[in-house]
Amino acid sequence: MMCRTGQDQGPEPSGKENEPAATDAEFSALLEDSAEELYESAPCGYLSTLMDGTVAKINNTLLDWIGLEREAVVGRKRFADLLSVGGKLYHETHFAPLLRMQGELRGIALELRTRGGGRLPVLVSSAVKQSSEGEPLLIRTTVFDASDRRAYEAELLRRQQEAEKARAEAEAARAEAETARLQAEADRARLADAFTVLQKSLLPDALPAVPGLEAAAYYHTASPDRLGGDFYDLFPVAGDRWAFFLGDVSGKGPQAAAVTSLTRYTLRAAALHDPEPATALRTLNTVLHERYAGGGDPRYCTAIFGVLGPGPEGGITVRLASGGHTPALILRSGGRAEYLPTPGGLLVGILPTAPFVTAETVLAPGDTMLLYTDGLTEARTGDARDSLYGEDALLDFAAEHAPSSPHTTVAALTTLLEGLGDGVNDDTALLALGVPADDPAHRTPPPDGAP
Amino acid sequence: MSPLKITRQDRAAGPVLHVTGELDYDQAAALREETERLPLRPGQCLVIDLAGLEFCDSTGITALLAARQHAQAAGAEVALAAVPANTLRILTLVGLHQVFTLLPDAGADTGAGGGTGGDAGTA
Repeated sequence: MMCRTGQDQGPEPSGKENEPAATDAEFSALLEDSAEELYESAPCGYLSTLMDGTVAKINNTLLDWIGLEREAVVGRKRFADLLSVGGKLYHETHFAPLLRMQGELRGIALELRTRGGGRLPVLVSSAVKQSSEGEPLLIRTTVFDASDRRAYEAELLRRQQEAEKARAEAEAARAEAETARLQAEADRARLADAFTVLQKSLLPDALPAVPGLEAAAYYHTASPDRLGGDFYDLFPVAGDRWAFFLGDVSGKGPQAAAVTSLTRYTLRAAALHDPEPATALRTLNTVLHERYAGGGDPRYCTAIFGVLGPGPEGGITVRLASGGHTPALILRSGGRAEYLPTPGGLLVGILPTAPFVTAETVLAPGDTMLLYTDGLTEARTGDARDSLYGEDALLDFAAEHAPSSPHTTVAALTTLLEGLGDGVNDDTALLALGVPADDPAHRTPPPDGAP
Repeated sequence: MSPLKITRQDRAAGPVLHVTGELDYDQAAALREETERLPLRPGQCLVIDLAGLEFCDSTGITALLAARQHAQAAGAEVALAAVPANTLRILTLVGLHQVFTLLPDAGADTGAGGGTGGDAGTA
């Protein structure tokens, strides 16, 4: 009745009832039909073998990959026969023993032999089916095409190799830069060595020992890579007389060093010919003027040249001439300090004939005469480095230290220069000549001593 | 350290360079380059106005000597105007006050035809 009633309710609802029924039918048909179909045509290979590997069942997908007929495989080949030589070896030495031990293996990468001798990279998973008593019965195996994955891995590997290559190239470039840096350092060191040797050639290695005279010298290089143009020397001329000079060549660097060299050897040669100070400077003036005038690049020097001779009462006479150089400073044994003025002497080398001014003094025992270049008096002082140390400051400094032996004087000035630091932006040469005090422990000012 | 500034004024008697700032190792080259470029005719006088000079070391002196060489090569004279006291002291120390013509100041432009400007005011 119920059914009837239901049927009686009209044909329209029956249409509605038919639709789910048809879908269910299609769905179950799909399930029923596809069980075998799914096995045969699945997107992966299926394989069942006996425990010795003999193929018992194989699906179409896998047959298609290996390019063999079912009859040629089932009962005739073992799974290992389907693999590449390397795969077969791996299967026998690792895969099969592990599978027997563990009962299951997943995702092992192997290669199948395909139709025409090619190879197909695959990922193989196997599981052993056991009887209810736990006896192994057969092996079920799925085989997935791994060529996409292999390509992906190859791509990864290629990228990794590229990255490695780039890294190696960067490393090589870095090593090359390091080599260049080391080379540049070596070059710089060689150049600095050459500069040092050249600089030394412009100065005496050591001051000679002069009887009755104490001598001390110092050279301060403001910049190690700018050859300085300061120079000094002390050497014998004739009999018991000695000559000395100290000066400063204009400019810096190799050109200045060349002028310094010319100056030094000209003065030495001139002194041997005629040790009269102004004459030696005139000779130098002529040489420098002929060599450098009119070239648009004036080269000149300032210099004091002098001659030492025996003086009264153990003293030494000094006769010197100046060409545009700062005056000699004398620290008297009595504690005074005074300049030995030489006003009007001209820079050496700028005019064909130049006036040079001569002055004389006597160094008594305990007196010290200091020659210096303008690196000292032109040193910038003050926080702003905007004022110069100057000659007045140097005179005060000398007066504070007098009396002072040549070595003590040079040591005190060395300390002063170090204190001025980077305010000393020019090279500085110091040459101090003095007569040792008779008895430094009981030195007394002479009657006409301190003012 | 004040930067060196050079301004040029062309007068009939010759160019005037007004130099302000510091003539030291780092900056004196600028004055040398400026003077080397100057067109000078025989009989002209190059006046270097040092009224604004704050500092001058030996490289500055060399630049002034280079200017003198350049002027002499062109048959011209050179004069230094308004030399500050400390620079005058250095010039005197090295004897160059005997070599350069020193003027109290750079003077005014005497206008066209003022050909005697270079001789005026010699100290």
